[in-house]
Order: sequence, then C-alpha cells, then structure tokens
Amino acid sequence: MTDVQRYEAPTTLEAAAEILKGGDVTILAGGTDLMPQSEAGRIRLKPVLMNIRRVAELRGIEKTDGMVRIGALTTITEILESDLIRDTLPVLAEAADRFASGQIRNMGTIGGNICNASPAGDTLVPLLVLNAEVELAGKPNGHLATRRVALADFLAGPGRTRREAHELLAAVVVPVPPEGFRARFAKFGTRPALDISAVSVAVGGVLHGGVFTDVRAAFGAVAPTPIRGPATEAALEGKRLDDATIEAAAQAAHDEVRPIDDVRASAWYRREMIHSLTRKVLSHVADA
Amino acid sequence: MSLTREIRFTLNGVERRASVPVTMSTLTMLRDVLRLSGTKYGCGEGECGACTILVDGVTANSCIMFAVDCDGRSLTTIEGIAADPASKPLRDALVEHGGVQCGFCTPGMVVQASHVLHKHPHADPETIKRGLEGNLCRCTGYKKIVDAVASVAGTMEAAQ
Amino acid sequence: MSTATIAATIAKDSLIGKRIPKMDAPEKASGKTRYIHDINLPGQLHAKILRSARLHARILSIDTSKALALPGVHAVITAADVPEQRPIGVKKDHLSLKGDRVRSYRDEIAAVAAESVEIAEEALKLIEVAYEDLPPLTDPRDARSPGAPVLHDAVPDNVAMTFEYANGDVAEGEAESDVVIEDEFSLHYVTHCCMGVSGIIAEFDPSGNLTLHSNTQVPFLHKREFADLLDIDPGRIRIIQPPIGGGFGSKLDIYPFEPICVFLAKRTGRPVKLVFTREEEFMASPTRQPVILTLRSGVKKDGTLTFRSVRTLHDNGAYTSWGATTPFVMMQTFSSLYRVPHCDYRTEAVYTNNPYAGSFRGYGNLQATFALEQHMDKLADALGIDPLEFRLKNAQEPGEVTPQGMNFKTCGLKECLTTAAESSGYREKRRQHIAERSAPGSVKRGVGIASMLHVGGGAKIYPSDGCGTILKLDDFAHVTLMTGASEIGQGSETVLAQLVCEELGVPLDAVTVVNNDTDITPWDVGVHASRTTFIAGNSAIGAARKARDKILHAAAKVTNLTAEQLDLRRGCIVRAEDGQVLMPLAKLLRSLHFSDKADLVITTHYYEPPSQHQDRQFKGDVSAAYAWATQVVEVEVDTDTGIVRLLKVWAAHDVGRVLNRLGIEGQIEGGIVMGQGYALTEDLMVENGRCRNPNFRDYKLVTAPEIPEMDIRFIETMDGEGPQGAKGVGEAPAICMAAAVANAIENATGVRITSLPFTPERVYRALKEARHD
Repeated sequence: MTDVQRYEAPTTLEAAAEILKGGDVTILAGGTDLMPQSEAGRIRLKPVLMNIRRVAELRGIEKTDGMVRIGALTTITEILESDLIRDTLPVLAEAADRFASGQIRNMGTIGGNICNASPAGDTLVPLLVLNAEVELAGKPNGHLATRRVALADFLAGPGRTRREAHELLAAVVVPVPPEGFRARFAKFGTRPALDISAVSVAVGGVLHGGVFTDVRAAFGAVAPTPIRGPATEAALEGKRLDDATIEAAAQAAHDEVRPIDDVRASAWYRREMIHSLTRKVLSHVADA
Repeated sequence: MSLTREIRFTLNGVERRASVPVTMSTLTMLRDVLRLSGTKYGCGEGECGACTILVDGVTANSCIMFAVDCDGRSLTTIEGIAADPASKPLRDALVEHGGVQCGFCTPGMVVQASHVLHKHPHADPETIKRGLEGNLCRCTGYKKIVDAVASVAGTMEAAQ
Repeated sequence: MSTATIAATIAKDSLIGKRIPKMDAPEKASGKTRYIHDINLPGQLHAKILRSARLHARILSIDTSKALALPGVHAVITAADVPEQRPIGVKKDHLSLKGDRVRSYRDEIAAVAAESVEIAEEALKLIEVAYEDLPPLTDPRDARSPGAPVLHDAVPDNVAMTFEYANGDVAEGEAESDVVIEDEFSLHYVTHCCMGVSGIIAEFDPSGNLTLHSNTQVPFLHKREFADLLDIDPGRIRIIQPPIGGGFGSKLDIYPFEPICVFLAKRTGRPVKLVFTREEEFMASPTRQPVILTLRSGVKKDGTLTFRSVRTLHDNGAYTSWGATTPFVMMQTFSSLYRVPHCDYRTEAVYTNNPYAGSFRGYGNLQATFALEQHMDKLADALGIDPLEFRLKNAQEPGEVTPQGMNFKTCGLKECLTTAAESSGYREKRRQHIAERSAPGSVKRGVGIASMLHVGGGAKIYPSDGCGTILKLDDFAHVTLMTGASEIGQGSETVLAQLVCEELGVPLDAVTVVNNDTDITPWDVGVHASRTTFIAGNSAIGAARKARDKILHAAAKVTNLTAEQLDLRRGCIVRAEDGQVLMPLAKLLRSLHFSDKADLVITTHYYEPPSQHQDRQFKGDVSAAYAWATQVVEVEVDTDTGIVRLLKVWAAHDVGRVLNRLGIEGQIEGGIVMGQGYALTEDLMVENGRCRNPNFRDYKLVTAPEIPEMDIRFIETMDGEGPQGAKGVGEAPAICMAAAVANAIENATGVRITSLPFTPERVYRALKEARHD
C-alpha cells in the first residue's frame, strides 16, 4: 500500500496522458473504490499515484450531434440530478438512484465505476443497453489522440478493462436513443440502493404500436462482467410486448445467464431472480 | 517511509495546511493529524456513514477519500457544523426527540441530515430515510432520528 | 437563588412518565463526546494482534525476530513471553495468547506494541508462524461422533457444558395430550455490530497500579478477573469507562485482547491502546449463540397446554464464553411462558473450531421464543382454535408462581396480548390473509403474533445482584449521584437522575451522575439482564430518601413543622399541604454545613433485590420482577423473489411503569429493529470456521428506509418492588420479533419456516419446496 514514490495532480488531459506514458501509474478519480480496495490489499498502488480530479476536460455533460457525452469525472449525483440525463437517458438516472448511498454518489465518478469493472456495476448495465462507448485518450505517438470502444468490448473481466496503460478514460459517449425508445433498470435487493446487486437487469427498445424493436437487454452480476443478452433480445425483437412475450423473454434470460455461487447468492437463485426481475422490468417498459 | 505531500484546504472555514502521506485517508488526517475526534471510524469502507463530512458542500465518507484529494477544497466536519448556530435546531431536535442513544453514529447523522435538509428543505420522512440510507445506527432503530429531522424540515436553513 | 425570585407556592409535579431527553445527548450531537477511540494518553503505544491463519493446528514455531527488529516496535509477545498468563472465560478454558495450539481463526498468537498503528500492522506481517494442521471440527452435530477431533484434551467428549431441567412429568403430560407436535428449529450466527468497535487502553503507574480504560459492562467483575489474571491485588486496579459506542451484551466477558493489552503495557512500561478494525470486530467479537433446537409440545383438545420437551445443541465454538449459559434463560421461557404443567429441557454445548458466542441482548430468549411461539400457532391450528384465544387461555395472571418457581407478582401478559391484537386488528387481518393466499398476485401479506417473558428485576446469578449508590448535595443544592451502574447508551443515567429528582424535588439539570470510575463509584454487578433501571433505580431512590429524610428533619427544626408536613419541590422546602415556599433548599443546606453541628448531606444505599438464587435444579424466583411483551407484525412477502418486507409492528410492553417515555420508546424501537435484523437481514456466514462476510457490505444491518411503522403501547402493572413501579425493558423488544415474523410469513403463504434468517433466497427456496410437496 505504501509503495507510492510519486504523486501527480495534472490539470490538463495532455499532462495526464504524458504522465501515463511513463508507466506504472494508478489513477485516482473519486477514490471511493480505490481507497478501500488498496487498504484491503486487493489493489496494490503503483509507484505513481495520479489524481485526475483537476483535469477540466474530464467534466461536464453535453449533447452534440446526436450524442450525449458524459465526462469521466461526472459524479453519480451529477448524473442523478442532470436534466439532460433525465430527459434523454432516464434509465441511467434510474440506475444512479439505486447506487450505494448519498455520500458515495457525491464522490463516485462514472469513469471510476466503468474502470472498476465490477460484474455488478450499477451504471454499466444501463450503459450497455444504451449502446455506450468509452472514449480513451492517450499519447501513443507523441500527440494526444482519442479512440472509442464499445463498452461491451471494453469490459474484459472482473475488475479488468481493455484500457491500455498509457490511456485515460476521458468520457462515456452515448447515442441519443431513437424516437419511442423506452428503457428501465432494476436491481435485486431489499433496500432502495445500498446493496451490491445480487443481480440487475436493464431492458430498452423502441415501443411503437405495442411492438418492441431495436431491443437491448443487459444483465449484471451474472457473468464476469455486465453483459448483453442476445437470446433475450431475440425473444423480444419485433414482437408485441404482451404477457406471453414477456414470459418468453424472462425464460430466455434465465437460460442464457451464467451466474456463480458467492456470498451474496447462489447461482440457482440468481437465475431465478433474473427471470423474475426481467419480467418486472419488461412490465414496467410495457406500462410506461 | 511513505511519500508525503503538503496540502492546503479550508477546514470549518479556516485556511489550513497539512503534510500528509499520499495514501492516508481524509478520516485519518482529521483524527490523527488535525486532532479532531468528532468524525468517527465505523468501518473504513464507506458502508456505515460514521465518518461523514462535507466536501465542497456535499457529503462524503471521509474514510474512503484520499487526504491529498483535499488539496484546494473546503471541508466541514461535525465540529464546524456544531459551531454554526444554524445547526442548532437540528441538533436540539435530535436531543428532544430522543434520536441519540450511544451517540456514536450521531455526528455522521447530523452532517448527513443537515445536507439532506439543505437539498430538500421540506423533506418528508421517506426522503429523509433515503437521505440517511448510508448512515447505520444500531441503537435507535432510526425512527426518532427521522422524526427529529422531519420536525425541522421546512423551518431552517441547514448549516453549510 | 434568592427568595425574591421564587414563586410563593409550588404545586407538586413529577418527571416520572415524561419525555426527558438524555442528559449526554447535546454533547453527543455536537461531536464532543470522547469515546475510547478518541482517547490518547501521552506516550501511548498502539497494539495489534496476530490471529491464526489456520482453523485447527499445532503451533510448531513462532519467529518474532524480524518484527522486533522493525523500527518503532517496542514489544512483540507470544504465549512464551507470558508464562504466568491464566485462562479466562466462563470455563477458564481460554488462554489469551495461544502457545501450542490454535482452535479457530480468531485465535490470538502474538501481539505487537509500536509507535503507530501502521508500524504495528507492518510488524504483524513479519511474524513467521509454522503450523501443523489438525483435523477440523466445524459441525456441532459431529462433535460427539466416534473419532471426532478432540479440541480440548481435558474434555475428550467435546462437551463443554450441559444443562438439565425438569418440572412435572413430561411423559405424563404427553399421555394427557390430544395433539403432540415436534419440530427442529435452527438459529444462526449474528453479531452485535456496535457502531463503536472494541478497544481498550491499559496503563501501569510507577507503583504497579493498573488503570484500564475499558468499555466493559461489568467493571467490578472485571476488576476481580484482571486481578486473578495478573496475580495482583484487585485494589490496585482501576477501571475507567469512557462513553461506549454500543454494548448490547458484547462487553460482559473478558476477551483475549484485553489481557493482551495489559501484558504489553506491563512489558513496555507505556500506556498501550488497542482498537479493532471493523473486519476484526466481525471476526473476533463474540456472536449470538447459534442453536439447533428440537421442541416437542402437547395440548389437550380444550386448548390447555400440557407439556414442552426441549433438546438443544449449542455450538460452543473453540472456547467457552457466555453463549454456553444461554440455556439458563431459555429454560425459563420454556417452563414459564404461558402456563405449562410439565417441562423438560436438556442442552449440550459442544466444542468446535467455529467462533464462540457471548451474551447478546435477549441472551438465548430470541432463540427459545422463536420455537415456542411457532408451536403456539401450530397447536392452535391443529385444534382449530384462534391463536389469540389459545394464548389468552394459557396466559398467566398476577400472583401465579410457575413450576420453575418464578413468582409473577405483577403480570401483564393478558393485557399485552389483547392490546397488541386490538391495536393491530390481528384477528380480522389473519383471517383475511388466509383467504387471500389463493387470490391472484405474487405479493402476499400476513400478520403474526408472539409474546415474550424475560427477567425484569435483575437475575440473581452472582452472590449479589445489588447496586450501590453514594449521593451528595453541595451548598448550592447541586446533587452528585455516584452509582455503580454503567451507562451503555440506553439512558440509565437520565432515568436515575429522574428518580433522584422525584425524591429531592430538584430540577434535572441540578444533578450530575458519575458512573464510570471504579475508584469513585460503589459496586454494581453490571449492565445485563435488563436490571439497571430496577436495581440501580432502587439503590438511587434509597440514597435519595435518606438524604430527603435528613433534609426534612433539619428543616423541621427551623420551620416549626414536622418533617411529614414538609416537602421538597423545585429546589425549595415547602409546606406539603399547600406548597407554600418556606426557604430555598440551598439555604437549608448551607445552614446545616456552617452551623456548630457542621454537617453535609451525603448518603449511601446498597440495594439487593429480593430475588432468590436458583437451587441446583434451577428452581427459584431468580428475579425481583418479570417483564412481558406481545408484538404483532405485518409482513409483505413477494413470492416471486422471497423478499419479506416488514410493514408494521404493534408492540404492547408490560414495563411496570414508564419512567422516561422518550427513553423507553427509544429502547423499544431500537430493539424492534434489532429483532427485524435477526429475523430478516442479518447473517454472519460462517463456513468451515471462517467468517465469509466480515463487513457491512455483506452483513446487512437494517437501514433507515427499511424500518417498519411502529405502534408502541405500554401496560403499566405498577410493580410493587420496582422503582416507582418500573421493571426492566432493555432486552424485551428484540425477543419476540423473529417468532412474530415467522408466524406472519406462515399466515401470508401457508409455509412455516423453522430456520433463520428469512433472507430472500432462503424464503424463496422454502416457498418453492413447499409448492413441490
């Protein structure tokens, strides 16, 4: 824990990328995952600790050219309270409301939540349903460059992403959903928020004349990373969103997930809850 | 020996300087370096809220915040809130409603509750309960704490 | 106070029954209170403990040389360094530092005292231990199997403790029964989760006197124990109790970290402070006693209970603490909650490599009531009798003495039952919910009822169950009450001040309570068994009445009235008949002080409750009073997920008399929510001896949004012995919650679940299995 030899607090993205090029850097954003994990010995801090909280380019939520760009340092509270998010991406606000506690929402960042890559990540599930991309910035060849990667491809495993060592997650970018798009999120738990999900579900699509298209379904805590559910999507795509379809989709969800047993729930129960939660989320989408 | 960093910040309205190891938590800095014992260690993992303080006007769990991240920021602890007369109605309400038993969770509750009231001046009990969802109490069963906060909702400006 | 500012007459008034805020609350709400964690003595060192990396093993070697060499380390000790250490605990089977063998993951192998916590933690990592694994024993059911590992050589059958009780003739009772049922109930591990973690500071002065800053709930017993442990004169030990961050029974025994801290203080010659991390608190603090319980109950067709026969298996863990003695309380419930002529009860507590249990609010009664009250519902259903009627039929009345010898001088059980049932609409709701079981919809509601019986006037298990008080008044009518009774957050100091104010007619802010230093306060056995209000209360009243007598007799001399014609009100001496103010109390006290007789008003009183020690058959009137409560709960079960929401609790408590309405409500609300956690959310998952969820993330305490609505009513039976008629209530509200919830789940779903906790997956599984049957 105390092997840090250098502490940096850059104020520009360029400066941050330059530091990353040197290698051996642990990135500090909100710190709400980094501090407890390194205290507990689950993460070993690298020789350079870089605090990116002063990098202005990482802040802000804006809509341009049909995309909503959310800076990596946007806190969960800022997402929850953003009119833009509420109007354009309400399912993300819904998940933000189910996130931890007020204290953690105030400090935790969306960039941190994505890079923490928890299998149960509460913001990751709706972001998958929104076809989000992550924007990575770095200086691979001497000048600042960015690239975009689909979130689904960016998440590599529990706690692992495909961020290169010289890269910083600068923003998450979400296409403005099409007309008639509705999406809902639900997290299994006995509390409104403070639980780490045993399972979570988000489903979205365009509902027009009772028919559901452009369907996206995502699940949390049932795989090494939050995942999309192709079989569930197939059971819904182009169908009328009625009880029979909902039941079939819930069954498809139950069958396609691969959960494990752990201290929070058994694999069997997770499957059962995916079934029940998917049904519930779909009913909410149908009723909305 | 761990790397230290000198930081400057405002603490309870006063400009301060401290030299802290880069891996130290804000909670440890408050208690061991700055000798303010009002903010409590409950779990060290951001799960219980006993360490709640205000950072730039919003609440945070000081146990999971790096002390170096306080550089350039404004912190308010229970000591600062209690010294502010604006917090007296809330503190008095907690006392009068019986919302204090062993009192260990109380500083965190006061800080968090005053922030909840600042954001939702007319908070109803359901909003208050959600607002306090990250503050654990083992003694009171929460009811009198919620009653106390509800009794001042709509009647005060929260201490910030 | 000058005569000019006092009213001419003062009417009689009283603080009893009023809503009185806790005296220490304003300081707590300002963050000024200094708990043990906040205390730092000059020159102090910080201690950390190295715990076993193995479940059950011989220790082959411990190498502390690298740890000792770390700069900033003052001492590293192992068992070899303290050959004089004596075993601690209820059975004295527990050495603080383990030398030859470890029997659980809690086991303390070494300890470090260093300049800082960080250095101490670093030093722990440098201690090298070589183990040789021994076969594990983690299922109490295996403890007596042939070939089971023997955990303590002196106890080859692994049976740490047994209890056996009987009254009447159970075989005869069974023969008379028209319905007999038997079930196995399983009660799980939960833990106290005090918000303030465990800690201690030990300091020797140059003469070898020891001062402990400790959150013990039994300071005088602790003094004795430490004296034995260290082979020093108990008179040279002083225990100072800082404000506590929660007790709930967790601090009733000596635990290894305490002697270890003292050993380090002795060795280093410096004050040593030892504070747990939260993870350590989960892993190393005593738990509630897990129990496997078989209950066999019988009833006649007219609804009269006939017998109860109980067998329990207690997982004693690796060493014996108070958990093993919970049968002492459990048998009282089985023999005496509702009228039962025949009862027998047998317990075995067996050693395993699991965590050991201590005392925890309710002390076995939650476990016993969980079984008993489920059987009450089952028996009622089997007979086709309404469950409330069935309970009322068998409920005792004042004046009854149970077959175990408990004398119910006051008994509000029937009133508790009818009050809770009426305020909740239990009967109609229960019928309605049964009808709704077959209605469409996956969410079902149910109501459940359960009562409890617990000691309410102490429990005479030690040679004395008493408490001493010293009371002094100064020249300004300020009262100092020095009581042996500790304050553990429950508000005892405020109640004691109220009782004194009632006798002396002074305002509450004229009273200072001193209760936290064994050099100052008189003896009290400790905070347990819901005894403090009753026993410390009577002790305080005794001392206050002596002071009142002295004052009124002195006042009689100067007012030409008799003492009987005088009264004390609002800091004044008044004529009792009409409240006419005669003089300020302070003035009388000063004249007493500065007269030629030169006297101060300082009084003492030791109150020993008129309870009995039980005989060798556990029979006897063990408490000076008994408390009852009935709770009705309404739950909502989502059969699609197994999630059980607690909607509302209606509680009726026989408390003798309400002394501080605010304080007693707070105790009941807190106890209800603790009971809610025991029933629905809390589960310390011990697997192969290891705690898998030593944190708040995965050990779920109830949070604010989850609490039920609560309707709390008091039955005031005015106990003749109790202070102002009051009885104890500290443990009562937690005791019947789980039973009521179990009965409510059955009402909602038709499925009875006999093992805790009712977490969603377990409820879901139980409902699914029932559907398949």
